[in-house]
Amino acid sequence: MPVSEMNRYKVALVGNPNVGKSVIFGLLTGKYVTVSNYPGTTVEVSRGVCNGLDGGVEVVDTPGANSLIPLSEDESVARDMLLEECKKHVVQVVDAKNLRRGLLITTQLAEMGLPVVITLNMWDELLDRGMNIDVNVLQEKLRLPIIKTIATHRVGVSALFSSIPNAKVPNLYVDYGNFIEEGISKIEKILQGNTTVNERALAIMLLSGDSALEEKLRKKLSDHALDEVQSIRNNIQAHFGSPLSYVINIKRANYVDAVVEAVTSNLKKEKETHPVLRKIFFYFLMPAASFFMGYKLMALLMYLISSRLPPGSVFASLLPFVVGGISSIWFSLHLYVKEYKAKSTIAGILGSITMHPVAAFPLLVIILWTVYKLVGEFGAGTCVEFFEEKVFGRSLIPSGGFDVSIYIPFVQKSYVVTHVNFQGFNYYLGLLAQKLVDKDNIIFELFLNEQSGLIRVGLTYAIAIVFPIVGFFFLAFGIMEDSGYLPRLAVMVDKIFKRIGLNGKAVLPMVLGLGCDTMATLTTRILNTKKERIIATLLLALAIPCSAQLGVISSVLGRVSGIYFAIYVFVICTQLLLVGYLSSKVLPGAPSDFLMEIPPFRMPKLSNIFIKTFYRIHWFLKEAVPLFMLGTLALFVATKAGLLSFVERMGAPITRNFLGLPEETTHGFILGFLRRDYGAVSIFKTLEEKGGSAGIDPKQLLVSLVVITLFIPCLANFLVMIKEQGAKNAFLMFAFIFPYSVLVGGILRVILQQFS
Amino acid sequence: MTESSQEEILELIWTIDEEKGEVERDSLIKKIRLPSAEQILNTLIHEEYVTISDSKVALTKKGLADARVIIRRHRLAERLLHDVLDVKEDAMDSSACKFEHILDEEVTASICTLLGHPVTCPHGKAIPPGECCEKANKEIRPVVMPLSDLKSGDEAKIAYIVTKYHGRLDRLSSMGLLPGVQIHLHQRQPTYVIQMGETQIALDTAIARDIYVRLL
Repeated sequence: MPVSEMNRYKVALVGNPNVGKSVIFGLLTGKYVTVSNYPGTTVEVSRGVCNGLDGGVEVVDTPGANSLIPLSEDESVARDMLLEECKKHVVQVVDAKNLRRGLLITTQLAEMGLPVVITLNMWDELLDRGMNIDVNVLQEKLRLPIIKTIATHRVGVSALFSSIPNAKVPNLYVDYGNFIEEGISKIEKILQGNTTVNERALAIMLLSGDSALEEKLRKKLSDHALDEVQSIRNNIQAHFGSPLSYVINIKRANYVDAVVEAVTSNLKKEKETHPVLRKIFFYFLMPAASFFMGYKLMALLMYLISSRLPPGSVFASLLPFVVGGISSIWFSLHLYVKEYKAKSTIAGILGSITMHPVAAFPLLVIILWTVYKLVGEFGAGTCVEFFEEKVFGRSLIPSGGFDVSIYIPFVQKSYVVTHVNFQGFNYYLGLLAQKLVDKDNIIFELFLNEQSGLIRVGLTYAIAIVFPIVGFFFLAFGIMEDSGYLPRLAVMVDKIFKRIGLNGKAVLPMVLGLGCDTMATLTTRILNTKKERIIATLLLALAIPCSAQLGVISSVLGRVSGIYFAIYVFVICTQLLLVGYLSSKVLPGAPSDFLMEIPPFRMPKLSNIFIKTFYRIHWFLKEAVPLFMLGTLALFVATKAGLLSFVERMGAPITRNFLGLPEETTHGFILGFLRRDYGAVSIFKTLEEKGGSAGIDPKQLLVSLVVITLFIPCLANFLVMIKEQGAKNAFLMFAFIFPYSVLVGGILRVILQQFS
Repeated sequence: MTESSQEEILELIWTIDEEKGEVERDSLIKKIRLPSAEQILNTLIHEEYVTISDSKVALTKKGLADARVIIRRHRLAERLLHDVLDVKEDAMDSSACKFEHILDEEVTASICTLLGHPVTCPHGKAIPPGECCEKANKEIRPVVMPLSDLKSGDEAKIAYIVTKYHGRLDRLSSMGLLPGVQIHLHQRQPTYVIQMGETQIALDTAIARDIYVRLL
């Protein structure tokens, strides 16, 4: 039976941060939105259609909010959506083990008078923790459908599906006491007929001092009416020592506490890790892992000073083992004493270690090293080389094919299975093209030119270089996100980030920036103040190299020497802290609070990570490939028109005299604006050619890579900066970064010369 | 030393001044609600506790010092009744009024120490600090103290939250961090991490200092 237009409604997903709204959205609509174990993953509303429901209704996913009285930009999104003028059913997603916090929102939905269905999600985690909720009693109390779900395992989703049409206004009513209730009814009269939801809800928001809502109402109400609201609020406030919003929250919490008390019970049977697994963990896994940690840490330190160590010294080769042993004993004893008897679960222990005041830092180094091995060495080294040299190849020279071989670990031998005689896509394309046009023809050059051909350079770089690096980075990032490691990282860096005008929360955009600055600039929205968003955007543009760039840089510098890579990291980190510190002093505004929920440490679900990585790569390719092509085209035109050599001549004196680099590298810096890694590759190639048989000059390489890292952000990032911060701020940042990066490079060159 | 009715008037002048910034003589007389209001006020003027000019009443240095002591006792008494003895609000007011006249300096200091040198009364008004507050000995653990003074592993109940920032209060309360909630301090470094029910929350030192807890 077709549903008449009158009955059409939207479904809105609402709930606290990190309760699984996006997973449920995906299940209802079949549309994928990024899901992770990190509060604040969703910063924008996503819309989809649920076909199974009443002939297709629109479903809206909103960013998580702890209160419908918004405190940050992403929180206001949920509230604004609920105030929109249309019929809607709310699906409130509640983390079953945190019922109290969920019901705080339900009371607000009840005040709005919206029909609600509640899903108690993560029901399994509730049971694991030895708790139970009497759903029948709760359902009777609230008089609306309540569904138990485990969304990541698709449990309970069909029940949720069929209950959505039966949504009811929650039977909750908080009495705020005489003074406030009187004020509410006065404001209700003023608002009469001007609201899309119940006046009571808006009256309470106004009493709480919701200035964003006041702005919205300014359009509908006279100034006089708003002044009246103001005076009512002031009169009530006079009766209370604490801010009204706080008084209201306390009343609401007391009301909710009573409800929660009535429905929850403790089974006193917390799920424990299997004893055998525990023994393996405590007696084998932990000592082994901590030994490896100590060993690797010492080895990494020694790598940095390898040139100073006498070769073949017994002391040097024993040192890592000694440090590994110490680390193993320390960790094992510490954990055994503290956790073995406490019967904590393994996930719980890992969750604590990853933010332990001492142990977390060596662990961080090891995790970074692992990510580097995966992204920097395997992704940016092995895979890129294979794709670039063998799969794509050159347009005029055959690549010579490659061997398919099986590598046997530990013995370090590999057996060649077969040789594939494939000369590279570009080579075959080149052959084909030469049948049609001459290789000096402009058309051939446009597509297959070795320096600026759309296919030979643009497409090859996008797919062969960027794709493997970014892919592996997103994979690593996904694991860190879903295990719950990222928010723990926020705990660790909070103190340092405070110094640069940010707080621990900013770790998400910063780490994501190591993947793609453009994407990261969008997530700066989770930060609370405008000041923080500006600082984070500036630092992303200035000092955070994206994975593509970092991959190229680390593989290039790593080949030259460990100490140069260390200097590079040191210089970039110093700049990050220095510029952050200065801008936090210069920009007006108070530092914002670090108050963040830490999700439980979970075993990441592989399928989710792969899907997420797939969608992120998809997004990246959609974004990057056209820009690569555009950039290459611009480069081609600029080369042919002689524009490039003109800019190069302009920039050459600075490059040559101030930075001490060959003039040709100017070319690379200009390319850096199109894609940062693109510039880095170009500079490396130029320096390699210039160095000739003598090899590359590591000092020149270091200076040029520092400059290209700090240099102006890529075009895509710049466009997002304009979108998020406005053209004025974006251009101001641009104007600062450009000369500043060159200045740092110049200073670094002088310092390096002093030490040679 | 002044009598209790005189003390009440000094207290009243302090409170009105705190709220409005000035004290009108006539409205003060009305609020005293004693037949002998004028007379007591004149005694106070005579004994140089209070001055009057342009029908505005002001405390002298001597009067200010006395009023400060009385206010401090009254508000500390309120805190004691409210936080520790869990007395209901109406009963709290009248009892505190009686308390303020019987407490001597020593007992006041002990109560203040017991409560962890609180800075505001349950109504949110400032408690003038005494000598003991300045000498506050960190080694003796008071019953009520800022979250930042807890040791990791401690269990505590939130007693009250005092902060200058509205936004902070809103953010804490919308997360459900409110008086009466039981918390467990998971760790102090690199930042404070507390466990509230099944939620772990990280917060920085500035916030931890604003949350006052009663150790369990």
